[in-house]
Amino acid sequence: MKYLRIKAILLQESFLSFRSLEIIMDLVFFPIMSIIVFGFLSIYLSGFNNFSIGRGVLLGMLLWQVIWIVQYSVALGSLWNIWSRNLSNLFVTPLTVREYIFAQAFSGILKMFIIFLGSSVVCFYFFNFNILDIGIANLAIVILNLMLFGFALGLVILGLIFRFGTRIQAFAWGILPFFQPITAAFYPVSVLPPFLQNVAYTLPPTYVFEATRGILNGLPMDMHQMSTALLLNIFYLTLAIISFDYNFKKSKESGQFARNEG
Amino acid sequence: MVETVLEVHNLVKDYGSFRAVDNLSFSLPKGKIVGFLGPNGAGKTTTIQILLGITSATSGKISYFGKDFIKNRSDCLQRINFSSAFNDLLGRITVYENLVVFAHLYGLKNPKKKIYELLDHFEITSIAHIKYLDLSTGQKTRVNFAKALINDPEILLMDEPTASLDPDIADKTLSMIEDLKKSRELSILYTSHNMDEITRICDEVIILDHGRIVAQDTPLGLTKMIPTAQVRLTFDNTKKVVEEYLDKHEFTYEFESAHSVLIDTEEKLIPKLIFGISKTDIWITDIDVIKSSLEDVFLHIARRKKT
Repeated sequence: MKYLRIKAILLQESFLSFRSLEIIMDLVFFPIMSIIVFGFLSIYLSGFNNFSIGRGVLLGMLLWQVIWIVQYSVALGSLWNIWSRNLSNLFVTPLTVREYIFAQAFSGILKMFIIFLGSSVVCFYFFNFNILDIGIANLAIVILNLMLFGFALGLVILGLIFRFGTRIQAFAWGILPFFQPITAAFYPVSVLPPFLQNVAYTLPPTYVFEATRGILNGLPMDMHQMSTALLLNIFYLTLAIISFDYNFKKSKESGQFARNEG
Repeated sequence: MVETVLEVHNLVKDYGSFRAVDNLSFSLPKGKIVGFLGPNGAGKTTTIQILLGITSATSGKISYFGKDFIKNRSDCLQRINFSSAFNDLLGRITVYENLVVFAHLYGLKNPKKKIYELLDHFEITSIAHIKYLDLSTGQKTRVNFAKALINDPEILLMDEPTASLDPDIADKTLSMIEDLKKSRELSILYTSHNMDEITRICDEVIILDHGRIVAQDTPLGLTKMIPTAQVRLTFDNTKKVVEEYLDKHEFTYEFESAHSVLIDTEEKLIPKLIFGISKTDIWITDIDVIKSSLEDVFLHIARRKKT
């Protein structure tokens, strides 16, 4: 992997991010608005019901953004190039697909940190919720796990976009909400019907949300849940890489990759 | 001996049961422009896409500068570039920002200097900080050329670069390509279905049909594949005198008007025809020799295939 080629994609991402209202709305406005809505909801729930439930809901929204931003960045970065008929231009340079994906992932992580920081500050100043209460080391493990899941999902969607083109572009922003109720981001898994609980426990974020809510309730970090999440993430990431490689190869065989021009 | 910068051997591309490229072999000599001519669906664009590595071949071998393309993809792509009417740059960002991205992709040490050199060369420095989306078609064409030269390529692959351009801009584009060839000793593979363009800029032409090479020669050599030409004579005499002469010498002809006739003849017999007529009482006022064009060659080949 060459540093300058990765830098090129990062530069393109930064130029585009600052000049596209759509990206600013998706990655800054909507997350902050969600935090504000969930912040007030948490105040409401804390006042009339249970303090920890209110904080749990806000925590769920804050952590959900980690998955959302990483997945969105990895999957959507290529769509901007496809819509502009520029994707072929990038891949007729010495740029390799590994470098491209690494750059997109790195860009997603950078964006995630910036937005997570902003959202955390809003939570702290306006809703009296400090994410650091769960502990810095715990937070690092939580974020790592959620990032890995977001990246794996983004990679699968990117492979599908390369293979099937803009016909399935809605997956880039439409797939993730499917996982929100199943992974129990805002409530305990026990709320779900039994068959959905089984599905929920096949997904890494479920363990992460459960373990983090536990910390808010005064329990120590459940390392068993976190390591289960990590192992599942490694499994899903492996599948995502295999799936991406397969779809990328198929898109070059079918000619779709070259035709991916809006 | 002429140095070859690109060699293609037995290239095949199948899309399921449809064969888009059928056993294609050719080479691109250094400093020459080789044109791919053919109708829509002839396999021109697919071949270019395979040569750039964005579509995979079913079989065959591609070598750039003597190196296998599949095994040395990045090294080869570092020395070539691409321009097409069907591609654009990112519209939301400026010309300079777009070019900075490509300068980094090619690992340029001093991107700013190179970018301004190219913008100067194409006389578009004033639009450096304008969004690509806001440019005119002519400006976009120049920016795309700047992008295509940012790595000082030795080979340029051009896929119908003048498609969708108006005649004036298309003419300027062709002039730019001619200048580039001369000033940089670029080797260019140029696809088009425009016969006039190909005739004007190419040193060698490959005519493709259904993914196969059906003819390959210089533009002049290809036109000689059709030995016949037409001579249009304008005269002052009565039609009857001319008719008598042409019948006597067994020419095929057609009167276009009372004082104009179109004669079919072999190209080599044209001097004899004109000399013969000049010795008669026919008073010729104008002679127009219509030789075969690449278009005629292409139609000739297509019709020969059908029969």
